[in-house]
Amino acid sequence: MSTLTEPARPIVPSRVEAAGIPFTRLCLVEFRKQIDTRAGIWLLIVIALVNTALIVLTLTTAPPVALTWQNLTIAASFGQLMLLPLVGVMAATGEWSQRTAMTTFALEPRRTRVNLAKLASTGVLALIVMGLTLIVGALLNVVGLVWRDGDGDWALDWAVLAGTTLALLLVVVQGVAFGLAFLSTPVAIVAYLALPTLWSVLTGFIAALAGPAQWLDMNFTLFTLSAGEMTGSDWPRLGVSVAVWVGLPLAAGFWRTARRDVA
Amino acid sequence: MINAEHLTKRYGSRLAVDDVSFNCRPGRVTGFLGPNGAGKSTVLRMLCALTTPTTGRSLVLGHPFRELHNPGRQVGVLLDASAQHGGRTGREMLSVSAQLMSVPAGRVQQIVDHVGLTAREADARTRTYSLGMRQRLGLAHALLGDPRVLILDEPANGLDPAGIRWMRGLLRSFADTGGTVLLSSHLLHEVEAMADDLVIIGNGRILAQGSANELLAAPGTRVQSLDDDGLLAELLAAGHAADATADGVSTGASAPEVGRIALAAGIVLTDLRSAEAFGLEELFFDMTAQHGREEVAA
Repeated sequence: MSTLTEPARPIVPSRVEAAGIPFTRLCLVEFRKQIDTRAGIWLLIVIALVNTALIVLTLTTAPPVALTWQNLTIAASFGQLMLLPLVGVMAATGEWSQRTAMTTFALEPRRTRVNLAKLASTGVLALIVMGLTLIVGALLNVVGLVWRDGDGDWALDWAVLAGTTLALLLVVVQGVAFGLAFLSTPVAIVAYLALPTLWSVLTGFIAALAGPAQWLDMNFTLFTLSAGEMTGSDWPRLGVSVAVWVGLPLAAGFWRTARRDVA
Repeated sequence: MINAEHLTKRYGSRLAVDDVSFNCRPGRVTGFLGPNGAGKSTVLRMLCALTTPTTGRSLVLGHPFRELHNPGRQVGVLLDASAQHGGRTGREMLSVSAQLMSVPAGRVQQIVDHVGLTAREADARTRTYSLGMRQRLGLAHALLGDPRVLILDEPANGLDPAGIRWMRGLLRSFADTGGTVLLSSHLLHEVEAMADDLVIIGNGRILAQGSANELLAAPGTRVQSLDDDGLLAELLAAGHAADATADGVSTGASAPEVGRIALAAGIVLTDLRSAEAFGLEELFFDMTAQHGREEVAA
């Protein structure tokens, strides 16, 4: 009887590639989706504006001796550290708030793969923004040299630069993680902005929390990282804080999106 | 080819879909009919792996949807024309999916023309679209990957009569080239003109299924003879509704009338009986009236 009730499997493979969608293509598409909407483009524009303001401030007020490639690049990195995670949040929540998950998962039903592509593509976006910042920093260094007779030093402090880049990657991943965990743009953004700050404030007030805060406050550990001052004991602290503030929401988000009914 | 096998979906204590099984065959348009809230959309979402059934399973082209490679090239899905990012243009929405499915970029323009969206409309953000335009864009998206199966939830919703007629032709030709079409509707007259097969659902359960001809035939007679074609022609000539079935002729004429016509034409009858009265139309309208919410989204 089973031969009658079991529908026949197609003998001839369909005319499409049997391999499915390669991960790189999925990442490229997710990357495109982050920058092809008004909200996405405006966030990037705002990041550029914030950075411009900070650069102008640095160029006009900083002592000429401080006008180096290094300093200008770091000054111009603040905007993305603040706002690029929100691109990550929207990459995750947009699928649900704009209900495009229906289309996305009908084209790639393996949802965790889509989530991984979102992580990879926001990470790449962060690296591209960081690269652009370096280029802008170099141009401004020349401006500082010419305009304000700045120091114009071309030496880069790699510990600071690498630390800042890694910090940026971590907060962007945190943005995606919060987005996936909450699946609502306003809730995820408020949670992303408020919860870590609240925790920092609490640990500042309550003496008993000061010890654990060194391990559990990502603001604290990321500051050390982006300042290029990591020592041997700082890495485990960074690891623990990232596990709590990135790993946990990410795991929750993956679990939630894999099961949630799309409607 | 679509196979739903004992699909059941329970939300808390509410049984939204209860043991639904049906098959959709290539070359045929299957109408999935039921009042709003009957569970149509839930079933369609389960077929597309967007909702996990509580029990039961479904296959599309012989595989669970989740196991399809690059499913957009095999199954065209339109479940909610409003589920589009308002900040993207129609063309960008299609281009993103074209890139993901790896269909040539030229296909986007081709499909935009095919569904009758103007260049200006395609380049507008979908936030500004009317429901009819959203449906056309959604159909364009479903057809983009040149699939062999279409799963469409209320595709006629928001289309004007000309649009519905256009869609009917489009789905007919899709099926005629061997494609499988499953489309849902809460309006009987909308699907009866285009569906070959019907699956009728109410309160999460299948109420009737079969070919549209059989289900929609008025209570009448089923007859077999040594010359079914001749008998069909005679019945039609006598002004009766009649249709060829798999094993004979079904007609609105009563049994004595069929006997008289066959006698006059000299056709030997081998079987003659009153068909069961499905009363589909009454059943359906009773059900719809009972729910009493014609245009509320399911």
